[in-house]
Amino acid sequence: MNISKIANLKFFYTRTKNITFFLSVFSFVLFSVGIFWGLFIAPEDYLQGNSYRIIYMHVPAAWLSLQTYIFMAVTGFIALVWKVKIMEIASIQSAPIGALFTIIALVTGMIWGKPTWGTYWVWDARLTSELILLFLYIGVIALYASFKDKRQAVKITSLLAIIGLINIPIIHYSVEWWNTLHQGPTVTKFEKPSAHISMLMPLLYMFFVFNIYFLTVIIKRIRLGIYLREKNSKWMEEYRND
Amino acid sequence: MLKIIIQKELSIYFRNLNSIFLPLVLFFLIISIFPLVLGPEKKLLEKIIPGIIWITTILTTLMSSNNFFKDDFNNGIIEIYLTSDASVELVFFFKIIACWIFTCLPIIIFIPLLSILFDIPFNSAFVIFITLFIGTPILISIGIFGSALTIGLSKNNILAPIIILPFYIPVLIFSASAIDSVSIGLSYEMQIYILLAFLVFILPIMPYLLKYTLRFSINN
Repeated sequence: MNISKIANLKFFYTRTKNITFFLSVFSFVLFSVGIFWGLFIAPEDYLQGNSYRIIYMHVPAAWLSLQTYIFMAVTGFIALVWKVKIMEIASIQSAPIGALFTIIALVTGMIWGKPTWGTYWVWDARLTSELILLFLYIGVIALYASFKDKRQAVKITSLLAIIGLINIPIIHYSVEWWNTLHQGPTVTKFEKPSAHISMLMPLLYMFFVFNIYFLTVIIKRIRLGIYLREKNSKWMEEYRND
Repeated sequence: MLKIIIQKELSIYFRNLNSIFLPLVLFFLIISIFPLVLGPEKKLLEKIIPGIIWITTILTTLMSSNNFFKDDFNNGIIEIYLTSDASVELVFFFKIIACWIFTCLPIIIFIPLLSILFDIPFNSAFVIFITLFIGTPILISIGIFGSALTIGLSKNNILAPIIILPFYIPVLIFSASAIDSVSIGLSYEMQIYILLAFLVFILPIMPYLLKYTLRFSINN
């Protein structure tokens, strides 16, 4: 078995059905364990009390939101350069997942901000760049949705994703620079003390779980993308009828 | 060949003088709406006028760069450009410059008048002038990139701004902070240098990017 065989749409579609089922169950179990670990076993924070526990959702979601953008841009790059069909599908299908992670990160951050900072939203560098990341995702999704020819749409959104990937550090650092200029009261005051190992372990574990979840959903979404593209082809009809 | 293209671009703009005046009128109209909304209080206006000028410039450039390729696309000229032997990057470069000359330069020229209207001190007006001079070519070329991405679509009026506005943010931040710095008596060279760095980074790359993007956008 080599790479080109996995990249074959039919091969991927027919072989991943059981894998997605297994992965779904696996990620559900892992997620339950992680939630239990984070919410009940991990020790209470001496400064923030129990409200800090939302980081077990917030931080992995924020990491994954960026990681998914990198995934989208890299697969888009492969799709553009080597014209690999499955990478086209993977690139565009990862965009809604990334947007979802971004929204989770923003919403959990806001919920955490209320008891900790006393307000749901501050124009802090990280919050602002996360919000801009959401707009970048929305731009990609909206651009894809407005094209009728989806293969052409993927090429253009891949290009946009790659340009966006170059731009994300620039945007991030300029926003950070802007923030230190307009010194907000919140950032330095609540700078996180380095976490204890008993708090850090569940966090890393949740990061791992979120990755498994991403893998599950991206495979499912790639299958969906393959189905949408190939629903009129012969092999798909044969496979459906089996 | 190049001379013909430059002449063509310039004559298109000159023949349609609306394309020069309307962005300018729009610019002044939006700017004069702000005091009506925020109140005529001089202190407040003094503080936010650089931001207002920049936001208005963004709106104007967005509108004028949105349909940048529309005519050439409908005429089929872009296909001819892309299939011809001529250096299409150079053509696009001059098109960007022409678009900048006729949509942004009038605004920049009228900054002194604006500084009289809003009683902006000379130092601030000078920095606004400089940042606009360096920043608007960046905005225009990013806007043109957005219009190249959406050229295959029939209704793209609101999509292109959504796509490209996030890319405007660095330019905005550094321009606004340069104006901010000079108004409180700090040095502003660093921000200007960063803007210049953006400019010399983006302007040579953009024609190649446009060529690459248009190949994808119109191959059907």
